[in-house]
Amino acid sequence: MRLFVKARGFVRNLFSSPRVEMDLDEEVHAHLELLTEENIRAGMPTAEARRAARIELGGIEQVKEQVREERLGNWLHSVLSDCRYGLRQLRKNPGSTAVMVFTLALAIGATTAIFSVVYGVLLRPLPYTDANRIMAVFEVNSNGGWSHLADPNFDDFRDQNRSFQAIAKYNQNIVSVSGVSQPSRTMVGGVSPDFLKIFGVQPILGRDFSASDAKKGAARTVLVSYGYWRQYLGSSPDLSQAHLKIDGAVYSVIGVLPDGFRFPADVDLWLPADLDGENPSRTSHNYYAVGRLRDGVTVEQANRDISAIARRIHDTSSEQGDYLLKDGIVLPLQDSITGKARPALLVLLGAVGFLLLVACANVANLLLAQASVRERELAIRSALGAARGRLIRQFLTEAFLLSLVGGGLGVIGAFWGVAALVGLAPQNLPRLDSVSINIPVLVFAFLLSTAVAAGLGAFTAARATSGDLRKGLEEGGRGQAGSQSSQRVGRAIVAAQIAITLVLVVGAGLLGRSLMKVLEVNPGFRVDKIVTMDVSLPWVEDPKAKASQAIFFANLIERLKRIPGVGRVGATSGLPMDGGLPNGMFLLMTQNELPKTADGFGALLQQKERLGTADFCVATDEYFQALGIPLIRGRVFDERDGTDAPHVAVISESLARDKWPNQDPIGHTIEFGNMDGDPRLLTIVGIVGDIHDYGLDAPPRPTAYVNLFQRPRAAITVTMLSDADTRLVTSSARGILQDLDPEIPAKFRTFSQVYSASLGSRRFNVILTGFFGVVALLLATAGVFGVMAYSVSRRTREIGVRVALGAGSGDVLRMILSQGLRTIFVGVAIGIAGSLALTRTVESLLFGVTATDPLTFGGVTVLLVGAALLASFIPARRATKVDPMVALRYE
Amino acid sequence: MDSEPTTLLQGTLDLLILKSLLAGEMHGLGISRRIQQITGGTFVVKPGSLFPALHRMEEEGWISSFWGDSENNRRAKYYRLTKPGRKQLETETKRWGRISWAIAQALEAS
Repeated sequence: MRLFVKARGFVRNLFSSPRVEMDLDEEVHAHLELLTEENIRAGMPTAEARRAARIELGGIEQVKEQVREERLGNWLHSVLSDCRYGLRQLRKNPGSTAVMVFTLALAIGATTAIFSVVYGVLLRPLPYTDANRIMAVFEVNSNGGWSHLADPNFDDFRDQNRSFQAIAKYNQNIVSVSGVSQPSRTMVGGVSPDFLKIFGVQPILGRDFSASDAKKGAARTVLVSYGYWRQYLGSSPDLSQAHLKIDGAVYSVIGVLPDGFRFPADVDLWLPADLDGENPSRTSHNYYAVGRLRDGVTVEQANRDISAIARRIHDTSSEQGDYLLKDGIVLPLQDSITGKARPALLVLLGAVGFLLLVACANVANLLLAQASVRERELAIRSALGAARGRLIRQFLTEAFLLSLVGGGLGVIGAFWGVAALVGLAPQNLPRLDSVSINIPVLVFAFLLSTAVAAGLGAFTAARATSGDLRKGLEEGGRGQAGSQSSQRVGRAIVAAQIAITLVLVVGAGLLGRSLMKVLEVNPGFRVDKIVTMDVSLPWVEDPKAKASQAIFFANLIERLKRIPGVGRVGATSGLPMDGGLPNGMFLLMTQNELPKTADGFGALLQQKERLGTADFCVATDEYFQALGIPLIRGRVFDERDGTDAPHVAVISESLARDKWPNQDPIGHTIEFGNMDGDPRLLTIVGIVGDIHDYGLDAPPRPTAYVNLFQRPRAAITVTMLSDADTRLVTSSARGILQDLDPEIPAKFRTFSQVYSASLGSRRFNVILTGFFGVVALLLATAGVFGVMAYSVSRRTREIGVRVALGAGSGDVLRMILSQGLRTIFVGVAIGIAGSLALTRTVESLLFGVTATDPLTFGGVTVLLVGAALLASFIPARRATKVDPMVALRYE
Repeated sequence: MDSEPTTLLQGTLDLLILKSLLAGEMHGLGISRRIQQITGGTFVVKPGSLFPALHRMEEEGWISSFWGDSENNRRAKYYRLTKPGRKQLETETKRWGRISWAIAQALEAS
């Protein structure tokens, strides 16, 4: 019953407000009449009675407003009317409203777009059941670096740990796959049997690997991804006849994995690892490892567990040396995937946050300027009975309208921005496919807009309603005193803006200078005019089969050379900047010293002075010429180096310097058989220039090159130096390969694509921080301009008086500019201090410059002061044009 | 009128309005004068407090209003106590009794 009465009141107040209002008005007036009458009866004259009644009533409108505030549903009513009023207010100044909305949309949109990348890459849980329980396991080597696991070490981790429900190893390779419509180069994962259990994944069709599938010599089985099944197996529900020829061997398809499961990244086929048996070495690191923690086990406990096993192996293993593990480490899989991307992404998020602050400062200044124009309106509203809280709410409402409209537009822009970011992002940024505008990102955008609104609203409300509002009425709407202090606040905001912009632009400048420094580095090889062709033959062990593969490649190269426009054609086991070469330990030997037994090797390995480490590259003679890698001394491979001739090696300059500091390495022999299983000695015949094969910003690595035709391998990249059109070369080369073996697919790229991808993440960071820096600079310049222009227009009269009293235009210019300069210098000083403190966070992303690079700091300061001075110069010049007569009549 | 008006305690105004309406229906000014009279001039209720309270209490359903004519044939809005209003008056009276007893106890304690 009472609820009903209340509801009726609520509805009446909301929907029949004119009637309610009229009723209230009549009631208050009637009350006034009654009071007057009472006074007359008491003997007052009519006029006096009326006046006394009014005084006792205390203002008709105020009483009505107080009643309204008591009403049910008043909050909703007043929120609606605040919104209506706010919209009207915003429409009244369409220019500045548009600028504010656009500024906020830009800043909120950019922040949302960057956040969506940060969320998709770093924060979004991996798409597996209880993904935070899935761990990556690494060996820690003697110099503290992490490496993959060697087979016996993994077996010990698996059998001895007490922390994991299941632990599995995996690797990934690109191999040739045929047996379906078209041969393709496909990413294949080799996994141990528990692999899928760790991810909580089961085949949607067929079965998982069993322990017997993984035994040495078992029938070959393969699991396929959902996408591969759809594309290459025609979504057939019957797998009994499905076979694939992978790397030359036939596998039966036993299952299809669910849509979306592709771990490790881009893998389409999963095979049991070690079908040919495990590698017994504890220093051949060939596998990644993942495990699912037992319930209740923490990451720290798992770490102690694995670490203890690793140290036991270290202490008891017969294999010693730099490549033996020293320790083990366990960390969440997500961190291990995204760890490298984290610093740069967080720097970008910080940068866009700064941009947001600069944008908010601009909007705050515009709102402040409007508020001081509205002093009179505020005074009237307060005189008519609006409580201070009500006025504050009005400002908050307006700020919310602005921010929500701006934020909404920003989110729309962010859709486009995310697409652009994904297109621009470097190829090595992990989990890019999980970046999108999704619910959490939208919630973030909403909360961000709300926070911006609350900040701006609270700020303007506090500024506008402080002090005695009624002053606005007394001064006839020209509250000079109030505007003095609001101008001070305006200048403080601009100083802060300059400071933040300086930090942002210095950060962008440091990254930009680093990129320039990187580009100055001579890579040591030619980049242009090279077409590359990745080819993998089936992996074989038999020396005869290997030799025939070498002949196959020799034929291929010979025929490729005949393509019109193609000059030198070389081949390598790994292109520079394309993932790196394997590295290992070699032995310095003298001719004919080859030990007969493994024990003999063990004894040699104990002699530290005989050991060296280098990257191992298989190449052909023309590889050096095609890539323009200079021969420093001696010779590269030639016809003399046939299969039966003594095996030779060419070494890089840095390896020569490292291992033969005071002598000529040519003629010395080394043993590097652990890399390809061939123990024959290699005689050094030449020294070639160093190349930056791990990226321009990484030092060149000591490298030993062996001859592809003496040390054949199954997978190579052919490099063709060509003046002809890339597409023509590609199609001719494809035709030649097809002619030689129709089952072998190839992948073509240009070397400049590979090179340019290696600079991708640096370029990404520079483009984004540069963009944010430029936008912040524009906003800050606009902020300086706005505050100066406003100040000049407020001081028109004062300037007029000064000019009338004899001040020259130079004096006026100086006066206005010096006021601007003070603000600028305060901002710059704070900005430099802030930069010195903050640029340390980007240190890990820098190359060739220090975090306090004086050139960058100086240049950015000059740029910023220049832009700010220019922005204050225009209003200052306008001030010098003030005509004293006009100015004095201005009032 | 010249007695020192005391600030009304939160909730006391409702009680006083309900109590004065117990005597019969009244318009706003009547209620105001009645309160002044029954409290011996201690409480003077200004329209700025009276009207918001009346409207709120009407929304609560404790009192109802209607337009009528005053003694001198002027139109005025009259208020009368409803059944829930009477109940509310009882509760409020009891509560007030407890409070004033408690305050008196507190002041007497040494």
